[in-house]
Amino acid sequence: MIGAAVLIALVQVMLFLFLAPLLVGVMRQVRSRLEGRVGSGIWQPWRDVRKLLRKAPVRARDSSWILSIGPLALLLSSLLLCVLLPLVGALDVPWISSDLFVIVSVMLLGVVALALVGLDAGTAFGGMGSSRHMTVAALVEPTVLLAVYALSIPAGTSSLSVIVGTRLHVPSEIISPVSVLALVALAIAIMAETSRLPIDNPSTHLELTMMHEAMLLEGSGRDLAWLEMGSWIKLTVLLGLLGNLTAPWGILTDVTIGSVLLGVAAITVKVLLLGVALSVGEVFLAKARLFRVPELLAGSFALALLAVTASYLVA
Amino acid sequence: MTALAASLLTELIVAAVVVLGAFTLPARWRSPVSGLGSVVLSAVAATTGILAMTGIGGALSVRTTLAGALTFAPDRLGGLFMVIVSLVGVLASLYAMRSARGAETSRSGWAAWVVFLASMQLVPAAADMVSFLLAWELMTLCSVLLLATGHRLRSSVASATIWYLAMSQLSFFLVAAGFAVLAGVAGSTSFAAVAAIGSGSWQVDVAFVLLLVGFAAKAELVPLHVWVPRVLPEAPAPVAAAMSGAMVKVGVYGALLVCVRLLPAGPPWWGVLIMALGGASAVYGILQASVNSGLKVLLAYSTTENMGLVFLAVGAAVLLRGLDATAAADAALMSAVLLTISHALFKTTLFLAAGAIEHATDETNLDRLGGLLRRMPWTAAAFGIAALSAAALPITSGFVAEWTLLQSLIHGSRISGTPVAVIVSVAMPLGVAVVALTAGLALLTFVKAYGIAFLARPRSAEAATAVEAPLGMRVSLVAGAVAIILLGVLPGPAAQAVASAVFTNPAEVVRSAGLAGVSFPGIGVLLDPATLALIVALLAVPVLILVSIVSRRHRSRVSELPWGGGGSRARPRMQYTATSYAEPLVRVFDDVLKPSRDVQVTHLGESRYLIERVQIEQRMTDVFETRVYRPLLNVAERFGVLARHAQNGSIHRYLAYSFVALVIVLVVVAL
Amino acid sequence: MFDTTYPQAIGLCSGALLLTSVLMVWRHSLLASLRLLALQGLALAALVAVIGIKAADWELLLVALLVLVVKGGVLPWILARQSRATTRTIDESPRLNPTAALLAVAGLTVLSYVVLGRILASVTTVTAQAAPIGLSMVLIGFLLLLARRRARSQLIGFLLLDNGIATVAFLTSGGVPLFLELGISLDVLLVVVILYVFTGRMRTKFGGTDVDTLRELHD
Repeated sequence: MIGAAVLIALVQVMLFLFLAPLLVGVMRQVRSRLEGRVGSGIWQPWRDVRKLLRKAPVRARDSSWILSIGPLALLLSSLLLCVLLPLVGALDVPWISSDLFVIVSVMLLGVVALALVGLDAGTAFGGMGSSRHMTVAALVEPTVLLAVYALSIPAGTSSLSVIVGTRLHVPSEIISPVSVLALVALAIAIMAETSRLPIDNPSTHLELTMMHEAMLLEGSGRDLAWLEMGSWIKLTVLLGLLGNLTAPWGILTDVTIGSVLLGVAAITVKVLLLGVALSVGEVFLAKARLFRVPELLAGSFALALLAVTASYLVA
Repeated sequence: MTALAASLLTELIVAAVVVLGAFTLPARWRSPVSGLGSVVLSAVAATTGILAMTGIGGALSVRTTLAGALTFAPDRLGGLFMVIVSLVGVLASLYAMRSARGAETSRSGWAAWVVFLASMQLVPAAADMVSFLLAWELMTLCSVLLLATGHRLRSSVASATIWYLAMSQLSFFLVAAGFAVLAGVAGSTSFAAVAAIGSGSWQVDVAFVLLLVGFAAKAELVPLHVWVPRVLPEAPAPVAAAMSGAMVKVGVYGALLVCVRLLPAGPPWWGVLIMALGGASAVYGILQASVNSGLKVLLAYSTTENMGLVFLAVGAAVLLRGLDATAAADAALMSAVLLTISHALFKTTLFLAAGAIEHATDETNLDRLGGLLRRMPWTAAAFGIAALSAAALPITSGFVAEWTLLQSLIHGSRISGTPVAVIVSVAMPLGVAVVALTAGLALLTFVKAYGIAFLARPRSAEAATAVEAPLGMRVSLVAGAVAIILLGVLPGPAAQAVASAVFTNPAEVVRSAGLAGVSFPGIGVLLDPATLALIVALLAVPVLILVSIVSRRHRSRVSELPWGGGGSRARPRMQYTATSYAEPLVRVFDDVLKPSRDVQVTHLGESRYLIERVQIEQRMTDVFETRVYRPLLNVAERFGVLARHAQNGSIHRYLAYSFVALVIVLVVVAL
Repeated sequence: MFDTTYPQAIGLCSGALLLTSVLMVWRHSLLASLRLLALQGLALAALVAVIGIKAADWELLLVALLVLVVKGGVLPWILARQSRATTRTIDESPRLNPTAALLAVAGLTVLSYVVLGRILASVTTVTAQAAPIGLSMVLIGFLLLLARRRARSQLIGFLLLDNGIATVAFLTSGGVPLFLELGISLDVLLVVVILYVFTGRMRTKFGGTDVDTLRELHD
């Protein structure tokens, strides 16, 4: 059992290291094509990372070791998410816990690392991005945890592998109102956590609208490479999680060569499909004003609370 | 005489000797010797606590002429709190040995410190109401003395002291009244007799509410928290650390004493009441903390938040126990104790670190700090670890505690799939939402505190020339940080020890699992932080190898300001400050916080469009103070003016008052 | 076969009802609200149909058809017809802060759960368990009536309230007789048409239907 879990974890880490830049490339390409541009191809993020790793980082004189450690911390937290989440396989190994509260806090560690990096550069932009990012992160937390609560009710546990496993065996759970409401809420929360539209525009560098990008402005060389890679992996694993919660089919529960291959193929397809859907959706969305964001988050919170309440109303 | 009684006696003797030393020693020797004495005193108290936790009985009776026999016989729970309070005492005393300045090093200053520590340690040891109240009042009075040591330096200390005195006396009065009602029902003042009465009668309900509010005032809960943001920032660092780290825990002990030991079978509405009180405090406290820029004010409000979470957990335990969801109730109670221990450690460390910053820069306003990480690496590391714990992130003690709380809440509403009760199915989701919002805002608060104070460029000359705190002060900081990490990585053994002090069946509630992780078999959950740390270490190996290869080929360059937001004149003044960091949040919660904002725009000459200067002033006020206490105080003041007419200094009038009072008493007796 | 999916079908329909109600509070634009109203009519019709199939009651199926036509089709269509031309640019600025309104919605749902949980404690049928959703729709409708400025948006609140009453009726008593439902539907239709005509007149006459500004006419 432990051996199988280690194997799955390894597969997940390798797969998502490869998949994350690819997903971002695909999303950018889809968006370019829809907007009538040629686009730079789906391998461009890979080329960017390779280029950045070959450049010497430039750091401010007053900056501290946070500027070099922070990006690594973000990357490691994202890699840890790859290990813990049920992406390719949903094996329930108690010590390698896929407990949702643990996962949320691991994700928040990455958020904190990024926010501190933004502050450490000592410019107005970094602080601005950091402040907005943390505000959104703080307000999104109730939604995430309540959605988790709602999802944990049918399975009787907050362990994600068990939740996904339950959904695999009882597919009618997926379309129950509780699950639908919770998934909508969770999807909004994930958009906020990964700085996508309509909360943040990932492709803008206008000072009034930046959140995520503002924190990366002072990053360069390998620091920037780690920051980008960490954020991409986070986006990819969260999309993978959403995919597995809505359509758990293909995830493996016992380890054979065939099932591993099937699991890898299934999660790749799900992630890429969701990514394409996300970037198509983003073409039609405008970024919400910063002070309309709390409204959006309050809406998702209301949905999450209704999901929990609904679990008492309907079976 | 048992070992426990002997240990208690030793403690009292040590306290007396140290107080004597503080009064007789010359000024040069006073601080080191008294400080060391306080450390020894706390160590003895900790030993006593550990002895009590093992469950060996024993009592120490002190005969007094006034109050009869005072009995001190700590049970397991009391022993646990003695240990918590004493550990904070050790850390704070070590620090105080080196940090004490001015009036703090006076005879009375040190004597008050020693008595303060000793009385805090004796409150959980008390076995009857009279000794409890005596130790409680002694603790309050000594803390007032300690607070007042700074009154010559700052005028604000006087007002803080008055607020503190008023609120503590209110708390004392409520607790005393609650105990009096209970004693009336039980016919005895000993806790053992009260524990036998059970609940159900309205007198017990009244006593419960009185005691709850009284203890809540000590534990800094809303709306009785108004003294906190005034007092803790004014107190010297070790005193603030001891008050927030230890004295507040005595309030928690009081609540646990009532809910667990004296009246264990409370009705569910008690639980709902405690949860509401705790939830409101948690959200309000952290909201105020997140928007305040004073480092010590922020820490003070965060204490209100943490105690709110503790009470939320206690309330959930009472509610769930009342509805027979025992497993989840036990987990909730466990989380309350874990939160208490974790808070004692990280808040002590945070306050001591804030004291180190103040020592180095004479400044606690975050807006004027910055760049301290390079200048004070030890303080920065300790503060960082404690801040992680305050933000409930792994791998710290705060994370374990908050995880336990969340697990108990989500497992509490159903027993094997069927809802427990309507009230539970409303209270638990709301509880989760409150904990989540609190956790999110705490994250922002501590990222702000750490990022603004320690990162980026210094925002004032004082911050630019800061030097690291001396070794004597660093020791406590490092010890606190190490304890936080240890409890966070290896929570299993500690949780088992704690459980044996709280439950009669500890093995059914909590077990050690995996690599010293915790598991709660009753609700079927497990957390193993050490494995997580191990996985991270394994993941870090290839990443670090890659980094070292890449960094050897391409060394990093240092530039004055690499990009500077596109401008070449970026000054430190142009960085985000703590106030601007919290600005989005102030806007979001504008309706709750009601900040007063004043914007003055000076135009350049006659131009409508060119601006010479913009001045913005924003003040955060405590809504409870302006909306609840001010009106009350105004009424009180009006009565005061009226009362002045009654007191005009004429001796005849005073004699007449006494005479009338005497006659009235006689008439009442005659009836 | 139907017995096993029956609770889920009820759950899905009532979940859709709740979701559309929340979204109506969330979205300010009138057109979006109308679309949601049509969807809600659809969900309500589906709910009635499910109950009808379970009870094997042809009359209920007819009611379902009626609900579908009136609430899912005619009413939203009437309201949308002219709105399309005129209200596209109007930004509805609600009287209640939208964040607070959304939190209030969550609170109201919890409240109706608590209240009906007390009343219907002894009834354990699937439909009765879902009944609080109907009550919360009524309350949310009231909230919309309070929170919206324009007469036309208030109409949405009124219709939501009506849907809520119908939902409670279907879920608790297994439906109302056909002719009664017919009468109610016609009443509602009439009210809507009258109000609709009124608001149209008022706009052409006074240039807007903001209720606050209308009060000034009285003064």
